[in-house]
Formats: sequence, structure tokens, C-alpha cells
Amino acid sequence: MSEALDQYINDLQTLAEDAKKAFESAKQKEDLEAHRVEFMGAKNGHLKRLQKGIGKVEKDEKRAAGQKFNEVKQAVEQSFQTAQDRLANLSASEQVGPRFDPTLPGTKRPIGRNHPLTQTVEELKRTMARLGFEVAHGPEIEDEWHNFDALNIPASHPARHPDENFYLANLTQKGHPLLWRSQTSTVQIRVMEKRTPPVRIISLGRVYRPDKPDATHFPMFHQIEGLMVDRGVTMAHLKTTLRLFATSLLGEDVHIRFRPSFFPFTEPSVEVDMSWQGGWLEMGGAGMVDPNVLKAVGYDPDEVSGFAFGLGVERICMRRHNVEDIRSFFENDVRFLHQF
Amino acid sequence: MIISWNWLKQYVALDMSRETLEDRLTMSGLNHEESEQKADDWAIDLEVTNNRPDCLGHLGVAREVAALFDQEVKLPKAEPKASGPPVEKLAAVEIKAKDLCSRYTARVIQGVKVGPSPDWLVDRLATVGLNSVNNIVDITNYVMLECGQPLHAFDLDQLADNKIIVRRPLKDEKLEAINHNVYDLTSEMCIIADGKQATGIGGVMGGIQSEVTDVTVNLLIESAEFDPVSIRQTVLDLGLPSDASYRFERGVDSQGIDWASRRCCELILEIAGGTLASGVIDVGEQPKEAEPITLRFPQIERILGIPVPAGEVERILSTLGISIRESNEEELVAVPPSFRNDLTREADLIEEVARIYGYDKIPEDVIVPMAPSSQTRIDRVLEVVRSVLTGNGFDEVLTHSAVTEKQNESFSPWSEEAPIQTLQTVIQGTNSLRRSLVPSLLLTRQKNEAVSNPRIELFEIAHVYLPQGKELPLEPIMISCCSGEDFFLMKGTIETLLDALQISKPFSVKQEKHTLLDDEKSVGLYLGETRFGVLGETSRAGGKQYKLSKTATIAEIQLDPLLVEANLQPLVTSLSIYPPSSRDFNFVVEEAVQWSALKQCIEENAGPLLETLHFQEIYRSKQLDEGKKSMLLTVQFRSSEGTLTGEQVDQASEQLVTACQKQLGATLRG
Repeated sequence: MSEALDQYINDLQTLAEDAKKAFESAKQKEDLEAHRVEFMGAKNGHLKRLQKGIGKVEKDEKRAAGQKFNEVKQAVEQSFQTAQDRLANLSASEQVGPRFDPTLPGTKRPIGRNHPLTQTVEELKRTMARLGFEVAHGPEIEDEWHNFDALNIPASHPARHPDENFYLANLTQKGHPLLWRSQTSTVQIRVMEKRTPPVRIISLGRVYRPDKPDATHFPMFHQIEGLMVDRGVTMAHLKTTLRLFATSLLGEDVHIRFRPSFFPFTEPSVEVDMSWQGGWLEMGGAGMVDPNVLKAVGYDPDEVSGFAFGLGVERICMRRHNVEDIRSFFENDVRFLHQF
Repeated sequence: MIISWNWLKQYVALDMSRETLEDRLTMSGLNHEESEQKADDWAIDLEVTNNRPDCLGHLGVAREVAALFDQEVKLPKAEPKASGPPVEKLAAVEIKAKDLCSRYTARVIQGVKVGPSPDWLVDRLATVGLNSVNNIVDITNYVMLECGQPLHAFDLDQLADNKIIVRRPLKDEKLEAINHNVYDLTSEMCIIADGKQATGIGGVMGGIQSEVTDVTVNLLIESAEFDPVSIRQTVLDLGLPSDASYRFERGVDSQGIDWASRRCCELILEIAGGTLASGVIDVGEQPKEAEPITLRFPQIERILGIPVPAGEVERILSTLGISIRESNEEELVAVPPSFRNDLTREADLIEEVARIYGYDKIPEDVIVPMAPSSQTRIDRVLEVVRSVLTGNGFDEVLTHSAVTEKQNESFSPWSEEAPIQTLQTVIQGTNSLRRSLVPSLLLTRQKNEAVSNPRIELFEIAHVYLPQGKELPLEPIMISCCSGEDFFLMKGTIETLLDALQISKPFSVKQEKHTLLDDEKSVGLYLGETRFGVLGETSRAGGKQYKLSKTATIAEIQLDPLLVEANLQPLVTSLSIYPPSSRDFNFVVEEAVQWSALKQCIEENAGPLLETLHFQEIYRSKQLDEGKKSMLLTVQFRSSEGTLTGEQVDQASEQLVTACQKQLGATLRG
């Protein structure tokens, strides 16, 4: 064995011992990491340096030097692993220095929410869309024809009284007063005036009535109304559609009950209840489109028939989310909004 | 309408339980609200829809019960014995306002003894919630609650000239009503006057002058019909609703007017004594029989979806008092009774059949044909808008569409025209239809600040109302945001929104001034040449006006241009497989040179290899000449044909540097 090889092996052994001591002395991860770089660093670590040293050994002894180097390398790696395991297994009280605390709160990207009424409207829209109803939009400022006359609400009807509606000041159309729509049925009239049957739509949006604000009233609220007109549309179709709608919405089998009622724009008119937790829950109003309404939009009531129904969005939303005061929807306190 | 169980029993046999009765009535149109025990009686509260004034009396409800349970109605005879002189000798009636009062009947009873009512009468009224006044007044109320026809008893001796004149009021005429309030009468009211002055408001309330008192001995009993619209207006104008006006507003039974008068006199003679004058004064229109209605049997199934046997149809209609004049295989002809003014058409009869036959017989599991329904473009675009805004931390609010005039004036980026007003105040002093959502959002921000909410990032999507002179107003949908962050974060949110909608039309801003906003940090937003929005930070004064504790940034954009420009079905282009090459440039320019000019110059001159251009930072220092700033930016080049060479990139860089130098006086900083 040449002197050079002897020296090389000595150096290797010293390195192995130094590394082992250093790794064993490490009290925290940062120390160990510093030692790892010192001995095992890929660029300037002692091992790397000694690996280059193989070049100085005689050619016929290179094989032996290589073997020894690999042994030492494995030994160093082993003692590093041992030290690493040791530090990893230290109990919390034995650890020293700054430590990573994974229980700190995550950095949240802020996220906003759609208004609860929007969430309800969107869900109702989606549910009706699956049943083939398309969304129709219309203006909020309306004439009396669309808000009343075409809906079979005659001039003498109490619903037309100025105290029951927001008529607009100094704004008329061809001498006729205009008002903020008091119902979304106006949209149904506008759609029927433009289209021939079949018609299958829902109209929705804000409506306005001079109600004094209290827990269940607000001068602005939202309606969603469905309309289906075609040849041969019957009250059985109405009942079936409402059952499918309620069942889809609630995800369970729901039954529908009709109670007679009165609305100028439908005949027969009914209040709709759905079965709910062993009792009946009011859903809204419905009925077969009054022949006068069909005539008003140029349809022949002997040719086509139709049904219509209306639901109050606020009422549904209040029940779904246990909201007790309608006014909280319009106060828009973000603490309230963040609960949805 | 509160019904007494015991009272109802006088007219129809009640063999069923109370619960059964309530349930059947609910399911046939008289919705049961609640029932309350009163002594040995039950007060049953039923909701009567506006089309059924016939059920505003016990007899009407009895008719419904009879139809539902196949019973007979026992109608009191109402045949008072008239032994006095002819009524024409004692009183006279004239209708001058025929449009307000179509018919007026009067009977006279002499020598009555006014006093307390018998117990049975007091009990009946107590069950339905009425206090006893005296026997005469109680009887008029009793008959009203029996048949639905309101009645009024006058002290005949207090009527000047023993005369009733139904007319409009004279100028400045006033009346002291029996509630001791004095009312100003206006021209469209229907007044009951005597020979001298107003002595009652027809169908609404009597006057104190002719009120029946303990010393009254001679009575004039009014049973009449007043115009519903006029009654309603009078009630609203005077703020004076009454049980009588409630019924007249809905219409009374024209053939029941005389019956009610006779019934009232019958009870007065029985309870308060006196002598009934013979005959009746009956002026105005006599009731007409209703027009016959044809009901085609197949129409029933066509509307209800189920057939109802013809025999059953006839039975139902008959039990409701509708007389069948003719019938064959195909159809029947029916005439409704006078108390059912709501029945005029075939559809009305179909509803009668349906509600008695039972809506529970209509199935809820028929086949409904399928139909396509696609999402509207508005909804598709708004879905993206909402997801971008909520994804960026904005909460949606819904605020009222009316604001105060002052709020409306405070910010109006879309219209110079005066806002539309409602005739009535909407809520808390607001009656102005908003032209922008921004004032409402600032108010909402302030309310949230007031309750110490730390993070207040708001948006709303709603119509605004832009007046167009005499034309109908425009109602564009606005998307508005209000943020506590700065101008650029808000601008970035809008840019993100445009990205999400794949809008390729160039986005730019131009400074413009607005009340509420900081003069410098306030811009119009443009897509191409179209101004589609505004953006800005509140000025000190603006923040103060809305009592904000710190600067807010607002943005309002119109939905319509987004609908036009949104690319909801983008087409892909193939990606270059070659690596990009980036260069940083640090241009020194005059303060007046804006980023947009630099950007445009680079985009126009960097050649086809330009892929992206990124602003990095703006830098000002004493080392720069006065009035200058440096703008650091990164340009990325890429080719789809091959890996870029150093020469290609150098050449493109030189081109853009030269152009910026020439056009903007920009120099590269070493």
C-alpha cells in the first residue's frame, strides 16, 4: 500500500469520525443542516473534496480507494440519518430553537358571498330550468296596461289604488300614468305579447309596494313567477309541475295541495300548499290563466290554455335559513351576509 | 269574517264536528284562520276573498255549508206586519247622485221603544266581536252580519222635512259623524242629506244629528246600494273604514236589499215595538237578473285535467243556488243568483265546479311534456361576474332602489336629467329612483363601519333609472363595487372581470371629475370607444358627506357592454413550442407621460415577436432630473417558428427603444 493511499484512507476515517461527532452534537435541525452542508454539501462538502482526492492515488490503487470512499460515504450518511431521526424524535420539551408551527392559521384568500336572496333566486331558477322553464326579464317601470289591465285587474280594483302602488311623479306615457311594477306578472304579459304559444317561462325580480316595513314586510321584495301556455295545459299539469319543483328543491318526495283562492289574473285560482314535516306549508298562489288575460295578449282562450304560479322569494329564503326579520336582508350587515 | 257556530246553526243543520266544518270550508274557499270559544259558542274566523262578498254574512256561509254537506238553507221569512200609514206620507227619498248610489230603499217605523237589547242578541254580537249599543243599532248590525247588507237607522224626527236626499256635498260642507269627529266632505263623496244638510256619509258612517238615541221614537230604515269605487275612495280620504263600507266596497246583493230591510223591520217590531208604515220607498234602479252563462262540458276537463260527470256538474251548480235553465249532452245554460256577482263567465262556473268537487281529485303525477330551456346570456354573464367578484372577496348586497334626492344628486355618472320621483315616500324620506347604485353602497359601507365591521367589500347588481325626457326611462343594469382598498386594486378587479369574460376589446381609462370623488383618482372606464364605467376614490368631502371613516374606492360598470363583448365560447390558438426571451427596460420619461402612452408605443413598435408587456414599478428620485420619473417594465418576446436568437431580440428591443425615444422622449436608464 502506498503512502498516498494510506494517507487517503486515514483522511477518510478522520472525516467519518468528525462527521459522526458533529452530527451527534447537533441540538437542533438548523445545526444539523449546517453540519450536513459542511460534510455532505454537493459543492464544497468534505466528502466531495475527498472524492476528488481519489484522483491523486496511484492508478492501481484507485479501486481500493474508491471502495473505502464508498464505505465512508455510507457511514457518514448513516450517522446523519441517525442524527436526523434522533432530532425528529425529540419530545417537544427537548427541542430547542425556533420551530415551525403548522397550527398557525392559514393565510386566507378573502372570499365574498352572493346575497342570500340571490342564492335562493338562483336555486329556484336552476330548479325551474331543469323543468324546461326559461328566464324572462322585463322593465321595472311599467304602464298600467302591463301591470293591471292585461292582467284582468279593472280600473275599479282596489289593487290599483295610488296608496297601494308607487306611481311616478311627472312621468306619463301617452297621458297614462306609470308606476314601479307591483308584480312580475308584467313580464309574462310582455313575453306573451311577443311570442306565440308554447310559452314556458319564469319571470323574476324586484317588485315595489308601499308596505310599511316590519318583520315580514318591506316596500321592495322579490317575486318569482312561472307561466306555461300551450294547447291542452291543465290544472293537473300545474299540480304536477309544482310537485316536481318542490320535490327537486327539497330533494324529497313532496305532495301538493290546492285551496281555492282569488286572483284577478287566474281562474280557477288556488293557494298552493306543500307537505312539510307532517303538515302543510304555504308555497304561494297559482291558477289557470284567466281567459281575459289570454285575450289581452291576443291568444284564443278556446285554442290554448295555461297555468301561472307565483312565489315570494323572501318568504322561501327566510324559511330556508331561519331568518326572522325580512329587513335584515336589506340592512346588509356583512356579519349577516357572511352567514350564507 | 267571524262566524258564530250557534248563529250559523239557525240557517243550516250542523251535524258535523266543528273541525270537519272548518276543514271543508278551507278546502272550498273560505280559509279557516282560527277559532275561539266564547261562552257556550264558538267564534270561527274565516278569510273571505274579495270576490265573495256574499260570504260576509252568516247566510252566505250557510249556503256554502249547505252545498258542501247537501243540506237545505232555512231562510228567515222577513215578513213584518205593516199596520201604519203609507210610508210616502211620512218620508221622501230623492237620489241626485245616481252614479254614486244606484238604489235606495226606506221604511218607516213609528213609536219604537229604544232600549237595551235582549240577551240572545247581545250574545250573538259578542261572539262575533261587536259591542251592544241599543236595540235598534244592534238589530241593524245583526241583519248586516246575517245577510251581508249594511243598514242604517235614522231618527226620522231629526231629518229636516222628513226627507232623504242622496247627493254630492256642497262646497265646504262638513259633517259630524257618530264617532264625534268632524269631516270635510269632498266632491266625489256620496252624502245622505235631509232637507237642510248632510246627515250621513252614504255607506260609510252616519251623522250624529240623526243618530238613534234613547229618546228616538220614529225610525227611517235605510237599505241601499252604493258605488264600490266611490266608497273605497271616501274611506281612504277620510281614513274611516267601517263594517258597512267594507261590504259596499265589495258589492252587495242587489236582490237582497229589500229582504234585509224587511228583516230589519221584522226584528225591530219584535224587539222594540212600534208600527211599520205600509209600503216601501224604493228609488233608483231595480235589480236585473244576471245574464245566462253557457258551460260546455268538455271545457271542464280541458281546464281541470279531469272529467266531472255532467250530473255532478248540475248538482254542484244547483246547490250553490245557480239555476240551470237548459242542459243537453254538450252543455248547459245557467243563471247565477243575485248574490253571486262574481259569476259571469264559463271559467267562473268551472271554478265553482272544481272547488266543490274538490281540488284533491286533480292528480299531481300526469305527464308534462319536456321542453328545452337555455340559460339567458344575461344570466351566463352575470354568473361570471358574480364568481369573479365573490372570488375577489366582495360581498353582494341588496339595497332599496329608491334614495333621497340629496343622495341621488350626490353622484350621477350616467344622467344629467333630474331623477324620477315616486308620488309616495318609499322608506325613510326616500322617493327618488336612483341613477347610480353608488350612493346606496356608500351608505351601506357607512352602516357597516358604524358597527365596527373590519372588512367591508361590497357589490350590488341592479337596475338604475335614467330619465329620457318624456320617453320611458332607460333601466340599464349596473354592477357596482365599493371597497376599502385603493384605486389600483379596484381597477385590477375590473381588469380581472374583463379577463374572465374573455373581452378582447381594449380597456382604457380617462380621467374625469365627479362630485364625491378625488379629482385625480377618478376615471371613466372605456371598452374601445364606449364609456362603460366609472372608477375612483372618494374625496375628503365625498367621504365626509357619507360619514366614512376612511377613503373608499367605488366602481360602477354597465352590464350591457359586457353582454355585447363577452366571449362565452372562446376559440383556442395553438401554443408556441419555443422558449420565450425577456428583457427589462427602465425608461426615464417626463411626469406627464402616462403608462398608457408608453404601453401603446411599445405595442405598436416592438414588432410581431412581442408576446407580453408587464409594468413592474414606477420610481422617482433626486438622481433623476426634475419632473422626470422612471418606469420599469418587462417585455417578453417569443416566436412560433423557432427559438429566438440574440440578434432577433436585440433588434426588436432597439426598435421599441428608438420609438419610445422619438415619440415620448423616453431615455433608457443605465
